[in-house]
Amino acid sequence: MLKKRFWIGWLVFVFLMAGLGNSAFAQDKVYINGIDANYPPFSFIDKNGNPDGLDVKAVDWIAEEMGFKVKHQPTEWDAIIPSLKNKKIDMIASGMTVTEERKKEVNFSIPYNETIMVLVTKKDAALTVEKAKTKDVKWGVQRGTTEAKWIEENMLQKGFQFKLQHYDSAPLAVEDVINGRVDCAAVSTTTANEIIDKGIPIKIIGKYGQPDDVVAYAVRKEDTQLLNILDEGLKRLMATPLWKELNEKYGVKK
Amino acid sequence: MIPQGLTAIKEGLPYLLEGALVNIAVVLGAMALGFALGLPLAVGHVYGNRKTRGLIGIYILFFRGIPLLVLLFLFYFGLFSLSGINASAFTVAIVVLGLISAAYQSQILRGAILSLPEGQMKAALSIGMSKKKAIFFVILPQALRLSIPGWSNEYSILLKDSAVAYALGVAELMARAHHVASRTYQHLYLYLTAGFIFLLLTYLGTKGLNVLYKKVGIPGYLR
Repeated sequence: MLKKRFWIGWLVFVFLMAGLGNSAFAQDKVYINGIDANYPPFSFIDKNGNPDGLDVKAVDWIAEEMGFKVKHQPTEWDAIIPSLKNKKIDMIASGMTVTEERKKEVNFSIPYNETIMVLVTKKDAALTVEKAKTKDVKWGVQRGTTEAKWIEENMLQKGFQFKLQHYDSAPLAVEDVINGRVDCAAVSTTTANEIIDKGIPIKIIGKYGQPDDVVAYAVRKEDTQLLNILDEGLKRLMATPLWKELNEKYGVKK
Repeated sequence: MIPQGLTAIKEGLPYLLEGALVNIAVVLGAMALGFALGLPLAVGHVYGNRKTRGLIGIYILFFRGIPLLVLLFLFYFGLFSLSGINASAFTVAIVVLGLISAAYQSQILRGAILSLPEGQMKAALSIGMSKKKAIFFVILPQALRLSIPGWSNEYSILLKDSAVAYALGVAELMARAHHVASRTYQHLYLYLTAGFIFLLLTYLGTKGLNVLYKKVGIPGYLR
Protein backbone atom coordinates (compact mmCIF):
# COMPACT_ATOMS: atom_id res chain seq x y z
CA MET A 1 0.00 0.00 0.00
CA LEU A 2 2.67 2.39 1.09
CA LYS A 3 4.79 1.48 -1.87
CA LYS A 4 1.97 2.10 -4.33
CA ARG A 5 1.31 5.52 -2.89
CA PHE A 6 5.00 6.28 -3.05
CA TRP A 7 5.28 5.44 -6.74
CA ILE A 8 2.16 7.46 -7.56
CA GLY A 9 3.64 10.41 -5.72
CA TRP A 10 6.82 9.84 -7.64
CA LEU A 11 5.02 9.98 -10.99
CA VAL A 12 3.24 13.19 -9.98
CA PHE A 13 6.60 14.69 -9.12
CA VAL A 14 8.03 13.72 -12.53
CA PHE A 15 5.06 15.27 -14.34
CA LEU A 16 5.30 18.43 -12.26
CA MET A 17 8.93 18.71 -13.27
CA ALA A 18 7.94 18.36 -16.92
CA GLY A 19 5.12 20.88 -16.47
CA LEU A 20 7.47 23.45 -15.00
CA GLY A 21 9.00 24.04 -18.38
CA ASN A 22 5.66 24.11 -20.19
CA SER A 23 4.36 27.09 -18.22
CA ALA A 24 7.08 29.19 -19.84
CA PHE A 25 5.33 29.34 -23.23
CA ALA A 26 1.66 29.74 -22.32
CA GLN A 27 1.63 33.51 -22.83
CA ASP A 28 -0.05 36.05 -25.13
CA LYS A 29 0.90 36.04 -28.79
CA VAL A 30 4.18 37.85 -29.14
CA TYR A 31 6.18 37.65 -32.37
CA ILE A 32 9.60 36.21 -31.69
CA ASN A 33 12.45 37.62 -33.72
CA GLY A 34 15.39 35.24 -33.96
CA ILE A 35 18.69 37.09 -33.97
CA ASP A 36 22.34 36.15 -34.27
CA ALA A 37 23.50 37.72 -31.01
CA ASN A 38 27.08 37.64 -32.30
CA TYR A 39 26.55 39.80 -35.36
CA PRO A 40 27.24 43.42 -34.48
CA PRO A 41 26.18 45.97 -35.62
CA PHE A 42 22.99 44.32 -36.93
CA SER A 43 22.22 42.37 -33.79
CA PHE A 44 24.14 41.89 -30.57
CA ILE A 45 23.75 42.02 -26.79
CA ASP A 46 24.43 45.40 -25.15
CA LYS A 47 26.27 46.13 -21.90
CA ASN A 48 23.13 45.56 -19.84
CA GLY A 49 22.42 42.23 -21.44
CA ASN A 50 19.60 43.45 -23.70
CA PRO A 51 19.38 42.80 -27.45
CA ASP A 52 20.63 45.78 -29.44
CA GLY A 53 21.66 46.62 -32.99
CA LEU A 54 20.24 48.15 -36.15
CA ASP A 55 17.79 45.31 -36.76
CA VAL A 56 16.67 45.13 -33.14
CA LYS A 57 15.94 48.86 -32.98
CA ALA A 58 14.31 48.87 -36.42
CA VAL A 59 11.98 45.98 -35.57
CA ASP A 60 11.12 47.60 -32.22
CA TRP A 61 10.10 50.75 -34.08
CA ILE A 62 8.07 48.77 -36.64
CA ALA A 63 6.35 46.80 -33.86
CA GLU A 64 5.35 50.02 -32.14
CA GLU A 65 4.19 51.61 -35.41
CA MET A 66 2.26 48.58 -36.65
CA GLY A 67 0.91 47.57 -33.25
CA PHE A 68 2.38 44.21 -32.37
CA LYS A 69 4.63 42.88 -29.64
CA VAL A 70 8.06 41.51 -30.37
CA LYS A 71 10.70 39.65 -28.39
CA HIS A 72 14.26 39.22 -29.65
CA GLN A 73 15.53 35.70 -29.19
CA PRO A 74 19.24 34.93 -29.62
CA THR A 75 19.46 31.85 -31.87
CA GLU A 76 22.45 29.98 -33.25
CA TRP A 77 22.90 31.17 -36.82
CA ASP A 78 23.47 27.82 -38.52
CA ALA A 79 20.17 26.57 -37.04
CA ILE A 80 18.20 29.77 -37.55
CA ILE A 81 16.17 28.73 -40.63
CA PRO A 82 15.22 25.33 -39.13
CA SER A 83 14.21 27.28 -35.99
CA LEU A 84 11.96 29.52 -38.10
CA LYS A 85 10.36 26.61 -39.94
CA ASN A 86 9.85 24.73 -36.67
CA LYS A 87 8.08 27.81 -35.21
CA LYS A 88 10.67 28.28 -32.50
CA ILE A 89 10.86 31.84 -33.82
CA ASP A 90 8.50 33.83 -36.10
CA MET A 91 10.91 35.98 -38.05
CA ILE A 92 14.59 36.67 -38.64
CA ALA A 93 15.68 40.30 -38.62
CA SER A 94 19.41 39.91 -38.21
CA GLY A 95 21.30 41.10 -41.27
CA MET A 96 20.21 38.10 -43.33
CA THR A 97 21.32 38.10 -46.97
CA VAL A 98 18.69 37.21 -49.57
CA THR A 99 19.68 34.22 -51.71
CA GLU A 100 17.84 32.00 -54.20
CA GLU A 101 18.55 29.03 -51.98
CA ARG A 102 16.97 30.68 -48.92
CA LYS A 103 14.02 31.95 -50.98
CA LYS A 104 12.98 28.32 -51.40
CA GLU A 105 12.73 27.98 -47.62
CA VAL A 106 11.42 31.35 -46.43
CA ASN A 107 9.86 34.58 -47.70
CA PHE A 108 11.82 37.82 -47.59
CA SER A 109 10.64 41.36 -46.88
CA ILE A 110 11.69 44.33 -49.02
CA PRO A 111 15.48 44.80 -48.80
CA TYR A 112 16.88 47.43 -46.41
CA ASN A 113 20.63 47.01 -46.79
CA GLU A 114 23.39 45.53 -48.92
CA THR A 115 26.02 42.92 -48.19
CA ILE A 116 29.40 43.54 -49.75
CA MET A 117 31.77 40.69 -49.00
CA VAL A 118 35.48 41.34 -48.50
CA LEU A 119 38.59 39.70 -47.12
CA VAL A 120 40.25 41.03 -43.98
CA THR A 121 43.77 40.31 -42.76
CA LYS A 122 45.98 41.47 -39.92
CA LYS A 123 46.84 45.15 -40.29
CA ASP A 124 50.52 44.46 -41.03
CA ALA A 125 49.99 41.46 -43.31
CA ALA A 126 51.32 41.56 -46.88
CA LEU A 127 48.62 39.24 -48.24
CA THR A 128 46.71 40.43 -51.31
CA VAL A 129 43.42 39.09 -52.65
CA GLU A 130 45.24 37.45 -55.57
CA LYS A 131 47.73 35.70 -53.27
CA ALA A 132 44.96 34.71 -50.89
CA LYS A 133 43.43 32.54 -53.61
CA THR A 134 46.58 30.41 -53.94
CA LYS A 135 47.42 27.04 -52.44
CA ASP A 136 47.59 26.54 -48.66
CA VAL A 137 46.44 30.03 -47.67
CA LYS A 138 43.92 29.65 -44.83
CA TRP A 139 40.56 31.41 -44.91
CA GLY A 140 38.11 31.76 -42.04
CA VAL A 141 34.36 32.12 -42.47
CA GLN A 142 31.20 31.95 -40.38
CA ARG A 143 29.41 28.61 -40.64
CA GLY A 144 26.00 28.50 -42.34
CA THR A 145 26.34 31.82 -44.12
CA THR A 146 25.96 32.82 -47.77
CA GLU A 147 29.69 33.51 -47.95
CA ALA A 148 30.58 30.03 -46.66
CA LYS A 149 28.34 28.48 -49.30
CA TRP A 150 29.48 30.78 -52.10
CA ILE A 151 33.19 30.20 -51.42
CA GLU A 152 32.59 26.46 -51.24
CA GLU A 153 30.65 26.29 -54.53
CA ASN A 154 32.29 28.95 -56.64
CA MET A 155 35.90 28.71 -55.53
CA LEU A 156 36.82 25.46 -53.77
CA GLN A 157 34.75 23.26 -56.08
CA LYS A 158 36.14 25.14 -59.07
CA GLY A 159 39.71 24.15 -58.30
CA PHE A 160 41.01 26.83 -55.94
CA GLN A 161 43.43 25.25 -53.47
CA PHE A 162 43.17 27.45 -50.37
CA LYS A 163 41.80 26.02 -47.13
CA LEU A 164 38.51 27.11 -45.58
CA GLN A 165 37.89 26.95 -41.85
CA HIS A 166 34.38 27.41 -40.33
CA TYR A 167 33.54 29.38 -37.18
CA ASP A 168 30.48 29.88 -34.98
CA SER A 169 30.41 33.61 -35.59
CA ALA A 170 32.08 36.25 -37.75
CA PRO A 171 33.89 37.78 -34.73
CA LEU A 172 35.41 34.38 -33.92
CA ALA A 173 36.69 34.05 -37.50
CA VAL A 174 38.32 37.48 -37.20
CA GLU A 175 39.70 36.55 -33.76
CA ASP A 176 41.53 33.67 -35.39
CA VAL A 177 42.97 36.03 -38.01
CA ILE A 178 44.45 37.99 -35.08
CA ASN A 179 45.64 34.72 -33.52
CA GLY A 180 47.28 33.79 -36.81
CA ARG A 181 45.47 30.49 -37.18
CA VAL A 182 43.94 31.65 -40.45
CA ASP A 183 45.47 34.20 -42.84
CA CYS A 184 42.28 36.04 -43.75
CA ALA A 185 38.55 36.00 -43.07
CA ALA A 186 35.61 36.58 -45.43
CA VAL A 187 33.23 39.04 -43.77
CA SER A 188 30.85 41.77 -44.88
CA THR A 189 32.11 45.37 -45.06
CA THR A 190 29.67 46.24 -42.30
CA THR A 191 31.21 43.69 -39.95
CA ALA A 192 34.74 44.63 -41.01
CA ASN A 193 34.17 48.34 -40.38
CA GLU A 194 32.56 47.64 -37.02
CA ILE A 195 35.61 45.61 -35.95
CA ILE A 196 38.09 48.19 -37.26
CA ASP A 197 36.19 50.93 -35.38
CA LYS A 198 36.76 48.98 -32.16
CA GLY A 199 40.52 49.35 -32.66
CA ILE A 200 41.20 45.73 -33.58
CA PRO A 201 44.30 45.66 -35.86
CA ILE A 202 42.80 44.33 -39.08
CA LYS A 203 42.36 45.79 -42.55
CA ILE A 204 40.20 45.15 -45.59
CA ILE A 205 42.28 43.89 -48.52
CA GLY A 206 39.45 43.85 -51.06
CA LYS A 207 36.56 41.95 -52.58
CA TYR A 208 37.19 38.31 -53.44
CA GLY A 209 34.52 38.03 -56.11
CA GLN A 210 31.24 37.21 -54.40
CA PRO A 211 28.48 39.34 -55.99
CA ASP A 212 26.84 41.95 -53.77
CA ASP A 213 23.54 40.92 -52.26
CA VAL A 214 20.67 42.57 -50.46
CA VAL A 215 19.65 42.12 -46.84
CA ALA A 216 16.06 41.61 -45.68
CA TYR A 217 13.85 40.15 -42.96
CA ALA A 218 12.74 36.52 -43.29
CA VAL A 219 9.41 34.95 -42.31
CA ARG A 220 7.77 31.56 -42.83
CA LYS A 221 6.30 30.92 -46.31
CA GLU A 222 2.74 30.69 -44.99
CA ASP A 223 3.03 33.82 -42.82
CA THR A 224 1.95 36.32 -45.50
CA GLN A 225 0.16 38.51 -42.97
CA LEU A 226 3.34 39.08 -40.94
CA LEU A 227 5.29 39.68 -44.15
CA ASN A 228 2.85 42.43 -45.21
CA ILE A 229 3.08 44.05 -41.78
CA LEU A 230 6.90 44.02 -41.92
CA ASP A 231 7.01 45.37 -45.49
CA GLU A 232 4.66 48.21 -44.62
CA GLY A 233 6.57 48.93 -41.39
CA LEU A 234 9.93 48.95 -43.18
CA LYS A 235 8.59 51.34 -45.85
CA ARG A 236 7.33 53.73 -43.17
CA LEU A 237 10.58 53.49 -41.18
CA MET A 238 12.77 54.14 -44.21
CA ALA A 239 10.70 57.27 -44.97
CA THR A 240 11.56 58.78 -41.57
CA PRO A 241 14.76 60.66 -40.67
CA LEU A 242 15.19 58.11 -37.86
CA TRP A 243 16.27 55.48 -40.43
CA LYS A 244 19.33 57.53 -41.42
CA GLU A 245 20.11 58.23 -37.78
CA LEU A 246 19.93 54.53 -36.91
CA ASN A 247 22.22 53.60 -39.81
CA GLU A 248 24.72 56.24 -38.73
CA LYS A 249 24.49 55.31 -35.06
CA TYR A 250 25.32 51.68 -35.80
CA GLY A 251 27.90 52.51 -38.45
CA VAL A 252 26.00 50.75 -41.21
CA LYS A 253 26.87 52.31 -44.54
CA LYS A 254 24.22 52.33 -47.20
CA MET B 1 44.86 44.81 -24.39
CA ILE B 2 44.71 43.99 -20.65
CA PRO B 3 42.80 47.08 -19.45
CA GLN B 4 40.17 46.61 -22.20
CA GLY B 5 39.92 42.95 -21.24
CA LEU B 6 39.32 43.79 -17.59
CA THR B 7 36.74 46.43 -18.51
CA ALA B 8 34.94 43.90 -20.68
CA ILE B 9 34.88 41.40 -17.80
CA LYS B 10 33.65 44.02 -15.35
CA GLU B 11 30.92 45.21 -17.67
CA GLY B 12 29.88 41.75 -18.70
CA LEU B 13 29.99 40.06 -15.30
CA PRO B 14 26.35 40.61 -14.22
CA TYR B 15 25.23 39.30 -17.61
CA LEU B 16 27.55 36.29 -17.31
CA LEU B 17 26.41 35.53 -13.76
CA GLU B 18 22.77 35.53 -14.91
CA GLY B 19 23.91 32.96 -17.45
CA ALA B 20 25.49 30.89 -14.66
CA LEU B 21 22.05 30.86 -12.97
CA VAL B 22 20.64 29.36 -16.17
CA ASN B 23 23.30 26.62 -16.00
CA ILE B 24 22.45 25.98 -12.35
CA ALA B 25 18.73 25.77 -13.17
CA VAL B 26 19.44 23.33 -16.02
CA VAL B 27 21.67 21.18 -13.78
CA LEU B 28 19.24 21.12 -10.84
CA GLY B 29 16.31 20.35 -13.14
CA ALA B 30 18.22 17.62 -14.94
CA MET B 31 19.52 16.09 -11.69
CA ALA B 32 16.02 16.04 -10.20
CA LEU B 33 14.48 14.55 -13.35
CA GLY B 34 17.38 12.12 -13.62
CA PHE B 35 16.88 11.04 -10.01
CA ALA B 36 13.13 10.73 -10.36
CA LEU B 37 13.55 8.42 -13.35
CA GLY B 38 16.85 6.85 -12.30
CA LEU B 39 15.60 5.48 -8.97
CA PRO B 40 12.90 3.22 -10.43
CA LEU B 41 15.28 2.28 -13.25
CA ALA B 42 17.93 1.19 -10.74
CA VAL B 43 15.48 -0.83 -8.63
CA GLY B 44 14.09 -2.44 -11.78
CA HIS B 45 17.57 -3.19 -13.05
CA VAL B 46 18.55 -5.03 -9.87
CA TYR B 47 15.30 -6.68 -8.78
CA GLY B 48 13.18 -6.76 -11.94
CA ASN B 49 12.45 -9.76 -14.08
CA ARG B 50 14.29 -10.46 -17.31
CA LYS B 51 11.98 -8.41 -19.49
CA THR B 52 12.20 -5.37 -17.23
CA ARG B 53 15.95 -5.64 -17.08
CA GLY B 54 16.12 -5.92 -20.86
CA LEU B 55 13.98 -2.82 -21.41
CA ILE B 56 15.99 -0.80 -18.90
CA GLY B 57 19.15 -2.01 -20.59
CA ILE B 58 17.92 -0.65 -23.92
CA TYR B 59 17.02 2.71 -22.33
CA ILE B 60 20.48 2.99 -20.80
CA LEU B 61 22.21 1.93 -24.00
CA PHE B 62 20.27 4.56 -25.94
CA PHE B 63 20.94 7.50 -23.65
CA ARG B 64 24.52 6.59 -22.84
CA GLY B 65 25.40 5.68 -26.40
CA ILE B 66 24.30 8.80 -28.30
CA PRO B 67 26.23 12.06 -28.01
CA LEU B 68 24.52 14.83 -26.06
CA LEU B 69 24.60 17.21 -29.01
CA VAL B 70 22.84 14.69 -31.26
CA LEU B 71 20.14 14.10 -28.62
CA LEU B 72 19.64 17.83 -28.13
CA PHE B 73 19.06 18.43 -31.84
CA LEU B 74 16.96 15.27 -32.14
CA PHE B 75 14.62 16.39 -29.37
CA TYR B 76 14.57 20.10 -30.17
CA PHE B 77 14.06 19.97 -33.92
CA GLY B 78 12.71 16.43 -34.17
CA LEU B 79 10.65 14.80 -31.45
CA PHE B 80 9.26 17.90 -29.76
CA SER B 81 8.38 19.64 -33.01
CA LEU B 82 6.76 16.55 -34.53
CA SER B 83 4.65 15.96 -31.43
CA GLY B 84 3.36 19.52 -31.65
CA ILE B 85 4.80 20.55 -28.29
CA ASN B 86 6.69 23.75 -28.94
CA ALA B 87 9.01 23.42 -25.97
CA SER B 88 11.60 26.12 -25.37
CA ALA B 89 15.28 25.36 -25.81
CA PHE B 90 15.66 25.67 -22.03
CA THR B 91 13.01 23.00 -21.39
CA VAL B 92 14.49 20.70 -24.02
CA ALA B 93 17.94 21.06 -22.45
CA ILE B 94 16.58 20.04 -19.04
CA VAL B 95 14.59 17.12 -20.44
CA VAL B 96 17.45 15.75 -22.55
CA LEU B 97 20.08 16.15 -19.83
CA GLY B 98 17.59 14.67 -17.33
CA LEU B 99 16.94 11.61 -19.50
CA ILE B 100 20.66 11.06 -19.99
CA SER B 101 21.33 11.63 -16.32
CA ALA B 102 18.62 9.08 -15.45
CA ALA B 103 20.64 6.46 -17.31
CA TYR B 104 23.82 7.35 -15.43
CA GLN B 105 22.16 7.88 -12.05
CA SER B 106 20.45 4.49 -12.32
CA GLN B 107 23.88 2.92 -12.70
CA ILE B 108 25.30 4.87 -9.76
CA LEU B 109 22.42 3.69 -7.62
CA ARG B 110 22.57 0.15 -8.98
CA GLY B 111 26.24 -0.02 -8.06
CA ALA B 112 25.40 1.18 -4.57
CA ILE B 113 22.63 -1.41 -4.16
CA LEU B 114 24.93 -4.20 -5.35
CA SER B 115 27.70 -3.06 -3.02
CA LEU B 116 25.53 -3.71 0.02
CA PRO B 117 26.22 -7.03 1.75
CA GLU B 118 23.75 -9.73 0.72
CA GLY B 119 23.01 -10.30 4.38
CA GLN B 120 21.04 -7.06 4.52
CA MET B 121 18.33 -8.41 2.24
CA LYS B 122 18.43 -11.86 3.79
CA ALA B 123 18.13 -10.48 7.31
CA ALA B 124 15.21 -8.28 6.31
CA LEU B 125 13.41 -11.22 4.72
CA SER B 126 14.13 -13.46 7.69
CA ILE B 127 12.38 -11.13 10.11
CA GLY B 128 9.29 -11.32 7.91
CA MET B 129 9.56 -8.22 5.74
CA SER B 130 8.29 -8.58 2.19
CA LYS B 131 10.84 -8.07 -0.58
CA LYS B 132 9.27 -4.71 -1.48
CA LYS B 133 9.41 -3.53 2.12
CA ALA B 134 13.00 -4.69 2.40
CA ILE B 135 13.97 -2.69 -0.69
CA PHE B 136 12.24 0.40 0.66
CA PHE B 137 13.22 0.35 4.30
CA VAL B 138 16.53 -1.49 4.32
CA ILE B 139 18.22 -1.41 0.95
CA LEU B 140 17.39 2.03 -0.49
CA PRO B 141 18.10 4.10 2.65
CA GLN B 142 21.61 2.67 2.66
CA ALA B 143 22.12 2.70 -1.09
CA LEU B 144 21.04 6.33 -1.44
CA ARG B 145 23.61 7.42 1.10
CA LEU B 146 26.31 5.42 -0.61
CA SER B 147 25.40 7.03 -3.95
CA ILE B 148 26.31 10.56 -2.89
CA PRO B 149 29.96 10.44 -4.03
CA GLY B 150 28.79 9.14 -7.40
CA TRP B 151 26.28 11.97 -7.57
CA SER B 152 28.88 14.62 -6.98
CA ASN B 153 30.66 13.21 -10.01
CA GLU B 154 27.39 13.29 -11.95
CA TYR B 155 26.84 16.89 -10.85
CA SER B 156 30.16 18.05 -12.21
CA ILE B 157 29.55 16.23 -15.51
CA LEU B 158 26.06 17.69 -15.86
CA LEU B 159 27.31 21.18 -15.09
CA LYS B 160 29.86 21.00 -17.86
CA ASP B 161 27.39 19.33 -20.23
CA SER B 162 24.92 22.15 -19.62
CA ALA B 163 27.25 24.41 -21.60
CA VAL B 164 26.36 22.39 -24.70
CA ALA B 165 22.80 23.82 -24.47
CA TYR B 166 24.52 26.79 -26.08
CA ALA B 167 24.05 25.04 -29.43
CA LEU B 168 20.26 25.38 -29.10
CA GLY B 169 20.56 29.07 -28.32
CA VAL B 170 19.96 28.78 -24.56
CA ALA B 171 21.45 31.96 -23.09
CA GLU B 172 23.64 30.14 -20.60
CA LEU B 173 27.11 31.15 -19.44
CA MET B 174 29.08 29.99 -22.48
CA ALA B 175 26.64 31.58 -24.96
CA ARG B 176 26.75 34.83 -22.97
CA ALA B 177 30.55 34.85 -22.91
CA HIS B 178 30.39 34.62 -26.69
CA HIS B 179 27.81 37.46 -26.84
CA VAL B 180 29.99 39.79 -24.79
CA ALA B 181 33.12 38.77 -26.71
CA SER B 182 31.41 39.56 -30.03
CA ARG B 183 30.64 43.07 -28.84
CA THR B 184 33.96 43.81 -27.09
CA TYR B 185 36.44 41.60 -29.00
CA GLN B 186 38.01 40.42 -25.75
CA HIS B 187 37.57 36.70 -26.41
CA LEU B 188 40.41 35.47 -24.23
CA TYR B 189 39.31 37.35 -21.11
CA LEU B 190 35.65 36.42 -21.41
CA TYR B 191 36.24 32.71 -21.94
CA LEU B 192 38.69 32.75 -19.03
CA THR B 193 35.98 34.28 -16.87
CA ALA B 194 33.41 31.72 -18.03
CA GLY B 195 35.87 28.91 -17.29
CA PHE B 196 36.55 30.29 -13.84
CA ILE B 197 32.83 30.53 -13.01
CA PHE B 198 32.33 26.90 -14.13
CA LEU B 199 35.28 25.84 -11.97
CA LEU B 200 33.86 27.66 -8.97
CA LEU B 201 30.42 26.08 -9.43
CA THR B 202 31.96 22.60 -9.75
CA TYR B 203 33.99 23.15 -6.59
CA LEU B 204 31.04 24.46 -4.56
CA GLY B 205 28.70 21.71 -5.73
CA THR B 206 31.04 18.79 -5.08
CA LYS B 207 32.05 20.33 -1.75
CA GLY B 208 28.38 20.66 -0.76
CA LEU B 209 27.61 17.06 -1.66
CA ASN B 210 30.67 15.95 0.26
CA VAL B 211 29.39 17.74 3.37
CA LEU B 212 26.00 16.07 2.85
CA TYR B 213 27.68 12.68 2.51
CA LYS B 214 29.53 13.13 5.80
CA LYS B 215 26.35 14.32 7.49
CA VAL B 216 24.02 11.52 6.42
CA GLY B 217 26.65 8.82 5.91
CA ILE B 218 26.29 5.47 7.64
CA PRO B 219 28.67 5.26 10.59
CA GLY B 220 31.18 2.55 9.90
CA TYR B 221 30.75 2.91 6.14
CA LEU B 222 32.56 6.22 6.00
CA ARG B 223 36.06 6.15 4.74
